[in-house]
Amino acid sequence: MDGLAFIGVALAVCFAAFGSAIAQGIATKGAMDGIARQPEASGDIRTALILALAFIEALTLFSFVIAILLWTKI
Amino acid sequence: MGLEALEHVLEHVRPTVLFHLGPVPITTTVVNTWIIMIIIFVLGYFISRRISVMPRGIQNLLEMLVDFFNDLLEDTMGREGRRYIPVVGTLFLFILLLNLSWFIPEMKPPTTDLSTTAGFGVVTIILVQLIGIKKQGLGGYIKHFFQPTPFLFPLNFIEELVKPVSLSLRLFANMFGEKTVVAALFLMFPLFIPVPVMVLGVIMGVIQALVFSLLTVIYISSFIQGH
Repeated sequence: MDGLAFIGVALAVCFAAFGSAIAQGIATKGAMDGIARQPEASGDIRTALILALAFIEALTLFSFVIAILLWTKI
Repeated sequence: MGLEALEHVLEHVRPTVLFHLGPVPITTTVVNTWIIMIIIFVLGYFISRRISVMPRGIQNLLEMLVDFFNDLLEDTMGREGRRYIPVVGTLFLFILLLNLSWFIPEMKPPTTDLSTTAGFGVVTIILVQLIGIKKQGLGGYIKHFFQPTPFLFPLNFIEELVKPVSLSLRLFANMFGEKTVVAALFLMFPLFIPVPVMVLGVIMGVIQALVFSLLTVIYISSFIQGH
C-alpha cells in the first residue's frame, strides 16, 4: 500500500511539471518572437514574461507542496 | 526507507526551536530574520552616512535599484506611483536578503518557513486594500466588488481573498522547493553536483523577490486605475 502512495506523490509532481513545462515553453516562445520583431520593447516584454512564468511556475509548486505534505503523511 | 530519507532532507530546511521566550517558542526563522534586519539596518546606516553626488561602490547599486522601481511605478501608475516606492522597495530588498541568507553557512533562510511568507502576503494585501479605500473612497471600494455586473460579486470577493494565499504560497514553495532539491542532491552527491542547482537558487531568490514586488505594484495599480 505504501508503494502506491509513493507513486501517487511522484505522479502529482510529474504531471504538474509536464503541464507547466509546456506552458512555459509557449510563453517564452511568444516573448522571444516579440523581442525578435521589436527589440526596443524588450524591457517591457521581459517584465511581463517573468511575471507570466512566475504564475505558471506557481501551479507546479502548489502541487509540489501537496506532494511533500502527502509524503510526510504516509 | 523513504520517510527517513525525507526526514534527513527536511531537517536541513525546517525551522528548529532554539529557545523559549515565556510560552512562545523562538525558532531559527525568527532569529535569522532578526539577523537580516540588523544587517539591513547597519548597511543602510553606513551607506546613507557617506552619501555623495558622485556615487561610488554600493551606492551605485542602490541607485540603480531605486531608478528601476521609479521607472516601473511611473510606467504602471503615472506620476503618483512614486509615492509607493518605499513600500515596494522595502519589500524587494527585505525579501531578497531573506532569500539570499541561504548562502550564509548554517543559516536556514526564513522564507522557507510558511509563517514568514504568510506574514508578508497578509500585510501586503491589507496595505493594498487600505490604499484602495483611500484612493476610491469607501463607497467606490465597495462598488468595485460589484463591477462589471452585480452577480460577479462572489468572484471578485474570492479574488481578493485568494491574493494573499497565492502571494505567500508562491514565495514559500519556490524557496522551499529549491532548498529541498539541493538538500536531497547533497545527500546523494556531497560534492560539486549541487553547485549548479545552488547557482539557480541565487537567480531564483532574485526573481522571486522581484515577482513579489511586481505583483504588489500590479495590485496597487489595479486599485488606482480601476479594473
